[in-house]
Parts: sequence; structure tokens; C-alpha cells
Amino acid sequence: MTVAEKQPVPAAISVRNLDFYYGANHALKNISIDFPQGQVTGMIGPSGCGKSTLLRVLNRMYDLYPGQRATGEVIFDGCNILGPKVNLNVLRARVGMVFQKPTPFPMSIYDNIAFGVRLHERLDRAAMDARVEDVLKRVALWPEVRDRLHDSAAALSGGQQQRLCIARTIATRPEVVLLDEPTSALDPVSTARIEELLDELKADFTIAIVTHNLQQAARCADQVAFFYMGEVVEVDSADRMFTAPRENRTQDYITGRFG
Amino acid sequence: MDRSATSPSALTGVVRGNGDAVFATIVRCAAALILLGLGGMVAVMAWGARGAFATFGPAFIVDKAWNPVTQHFGAAAPVFGTLVTALLAVALAVPLAFGIAVWLTEIASARIAGVIGTLIQLLAAVPSIIFGMWGFAVLVPFMAHYVEPFAGHTLGRVPGIGPLFRGAPYGTGFLTGGMILAVMITPFISAVMRDVFLSMPAVLKESAYGLGMTRWEVVRRIILPWSRTSVVGGIMLGLGRALGETMAITFVIGNANHIGWSLFSPGNTIASLIALEFPESAMGSLKFSSLMAAGFLLMLISLGTLVCSRLLLRTRAAGR
Repeated sequence: MTVAEKQPVPAAISVRNLDFYYGANHALKNISIDFPQGQVTGMIGPSGCGKSTLLRVLNRMYDLYPGQRATGEVIFDGCNILGPKVNLNVLRARVGMVFQKPTPFPMSIYDNIAFGVRLHERLDRAAMDARVEDVLKRVALWPEVRDRLHDSAAALSGGQQQRLCIARTIATRPEVVLLDEPTSALDPVSTARIEELLDELKADFTIAIVTHNLQQAARCADQVAFFYMGEVVEVDSADRMFTAPRENRTQDYITGRFG
Repeated sequence: MDRSATSPSALTGVVRGNGDAVFATIVRCAAALILLGLGGMVAVMAWGARGAFATFGPAFIVDKAWNPVTQHFGAAAPVFGTLVTALLAVALAVPLAFGIAVWLTEIASARIAGVIGTLIQLLAAVPSIIFGMWGFAVLVPFMAHYVEPFAGHTLGRVPGIGPLFRGAPYGTGFLTGGMILAVMITPFISAVMRDVFLSMPAVLKESAYGLGMTRWEVVRRIILPWSRTSVVGGIMLGLGRALGETMAITFVIGNANHIGWSLFSPGNTIASLIALEFPESAMGSLKFSSLMAAGFLLMLISLGTLVCSRLLLRTRAAGR
């Protein structure tokens, strides 16, 4: 996919008139938003406004919990993924997710990555080694772990674990990567590395990132969406959103008048 | 401690009466009583067993004989029966408990899981004598008429494992005993497993599902490795209960002093042997002492199992 031309980029995911309910709680209200291919979409807004909920709709993670349901349309690869016939295992491999806290699996560094790949592809030993090395290099973790690939992932630092989780997610070659406040549990240095990483990754992946850090959204995102009380108030390019927002509520939020 | 009040609000001032001290003494006594009880029990068992160990020496543990006429006693058969039935019970109960725990935590809706979870706990509250009566009235005839003849004709002919399933179908025996015990310990094992599975961080599971894993893959590759130690601890807890269970097993074990390959053959366990023979052995006789010695062995086996289970369950609280 080339992203050379600046103007209309096709959407990797299109959300149309989405409503979401936690039981009786109406958490997302008639949301419509596009996630342009090969771009980073930042989602900002106060806690409980529905940003993370939207992420959990995009890979249908909410399906794990009874009582949560979504109506409307989420178009991915020409198909409404809210439909009943969607193969969730395939969907979740194509729409990967990274969580707020690092979640390494209780196994070695190598297996953390190889495990997800094995679910969907049959690779021989050499190809798997190459894949592991490749993704670890992409997340800039390779120099730090090359000599201890078969040690437990639990021994890594928080920042390293989070990069490992990103590596694990991109190793299955998803088209979209969802990040739910990926740096909120990390120190500033690790945060900076992950932000750099996002910039490189968007060449190959469409990225949706939820963040409470407005500077982070300004630095990383091409497009920013402001969520408030379960609604999308405003979606615009990062430049315009942070310099000349159209809505008063957006203005108030980004200048710190509430939050 | 200087409690002279320098000012009315001094922190060192004497508090109302000395209720705290009295209360502390009372609870301390309660705790000490337990230790005293345990220590006393071990001492009494060891003292009572001295006659048997003095007469037969360490060979008591491996001696198969149990003959009141010749006054020759050995604990090998009941120890064998105890271990075989308990291990059989664990082998049968673990897959069942695992299935229950996975279903309760991963698949069932919260409401149904609550109801079924409570029912399974209730199973643990059924008195063991009830299991014994049910076993004797229902399970034993069923085993004798259907399961054992059938297994004898099929599994009994399989090379290697055949000898385990041969023999007269009495209905009573090691297999039936193990089955009763399995039903009795399943609630305990599944309760521990469920708690362990529930204590797993949700995000870890979500990450696994997020890679496109199926439920089975998540259970097998993420939940089990993560909770392995505690699951083994829970299994040991069940094993401990199975080792010491008395009433139910006495009803269905067949009560014969026997060691052999066949799981159908009647045998006894330490607990069933004591339950049957203790009331009719004269205080101070060699038989009495031998029963005490067998009880002492049972206590050691149970304590050992319990200690193992505690150690394994503790690593969960400390580590990770």
C-alpha cells in the first residue's frame, strides 16, 4: 500500500452508526469514524468516554464477556465484522492488539513470538527464526535479547516487555494494530522508543492508539478523534485538532479545562 | 513501658482497663491448644505403635501378613490399598475437576456458573457415610453386573494393561473405592482450580485471544502453564483427603488383606482396616499396637501430602 498521495486514503476500517452496550449501560452512541490505511489514528478523551470500548469492538474482544453487545456496522476488508459468521480467531489475527500493561506469556522470549505465528502459519525452523529476529529488530529489542531468546520473558523490564508484546502482535502480520494506552505504564525513555516505533510501523500497518497523553497524540497521530461521553465529538488531522479545533468541548479538553 | 500520663491526650496514657491483654492471652491459648493437640496426637500414636515396631521392626511397613491367629502383623497391604485407591481417585478426579473449572471460568455465563459452582460446593458437604451407602447400594452392584464383566472382556485382553482388569467381578474393590473417592474429592480440586483460573489477569487472557487463539489453545498454552504449580497444589489437597477418607471406602473396598494387580479385587486401606478392627482389639495387645502403627503411617503420609500441597500453593501467593 502506498501512502504517498496525501489526499483521500482508503479506510482500513470503517465504523458506521455503532452503538455499544455494557448490559444496560449505553457506552458508545451512534459512532461513525474511519481509520485510514497506513495512518495512525489517535483517540483521546476523558476516562470512561468510550475510547477503549471502541478498540475492543474492532477485534470483538467484547465477545468474551456476556452482556456486552454492539449494533451498527464495522466494515473491515469489505465485511461487517459485527456479523454472526465472522471467524473471530482469524479476525483477531488480522486486527492485533497491544494492552496498557505488558502481558508477556509465561514462556520464553522466542516462544512468546513464535507461539502466535504458529497458530496461523506453518514455518520451518529457519523461517521461524528469521521471523522472530525480524520482528525483534523492528521493535528495536534484538540487540538486548539476542543472547537470551530462550530465557523467560518475565525477566525483561517493563519497557522491553511492552516492545516484546508489540513484536508478538506484528509477528502474525496483522493489517491493523490496536494499542490501548501502550505507554501509560512505562518510563519516559521506553515511551519515546515506542513512539518512534509507531512511526516506523505505520508503513505496514494501520494503527489505532488510545492515549491519555495529548502530546503523544500530537506527536504520533496523523488523525485524532476526540471522544466525550460515548460520542465522537470531532475527528480531524492532528495539526488542526491541536491548533484550531472546531468544537468548544474539544478546545476545553485539549487546553486542560476538564478531563 | 512507661505509662505515666504527662498530658490528658498523651499517646502513652493507659487505655481503658486491660481488655486487650486478656483477649490476647485467650486467643494465644486457643492457638497453643491446637499445637498441643497435634503434638499430643503424634506422641500418642507413636507411643501406641511402639509395641508393633519393637516386635516387627521396620519390616512392619513392607510385611504383607495380617494374621491375628499367629499374631503376625504387617502394614504393606493396607498401605498399598491406601495408595492405590487414592491415586486412582486423583487420576479419575483431575480430568473431571479440570473440565468443571474450565467450564465455570471460561465458558459458562456468570449466572449459571454461580449456581453450578454452589452445587459443586454442596457435593463437598455431603457426609461421607452417605457416599458409603450410595456406593454400597448402587455403585457396587452396577460395577459387579456391568462395568467389571465388560471391562474384563475388553480391557482385560489388552496386552500390558490387561492384568489390571482381570479377576472376579465382586463389585467391591480398589476400582470402586477409587471411584467413590474420586466423586468425593472432585469438588475440592475443582474449587482450587477455579480460584486459580480466576486469579489470572484478564489482560493476559485477552492478549492470548487477541492473537487469534481458540479457547482450548488459551487454556492449554496460557492458563495451564501460568497456574501449573497451584493446580498441582490443589491436586495434592485432593490426594490428602482421599488418603484419609474412611467411612465411604470401608463400605466398598471389600476388606480383604490383599495386594495384587487386579483393580477389581477386594482390598483394604489403612483407614478401613482401623475402622473395622480397632473396636475388637484389646487395649495393649499386639494387634492394637499394630493398628496404631498403621495409623501412624497414615498420619505421616497425609501430613507429607499436605505439606507438599501447602508449599506449592504458597508459591502462587509469593511468586509471579
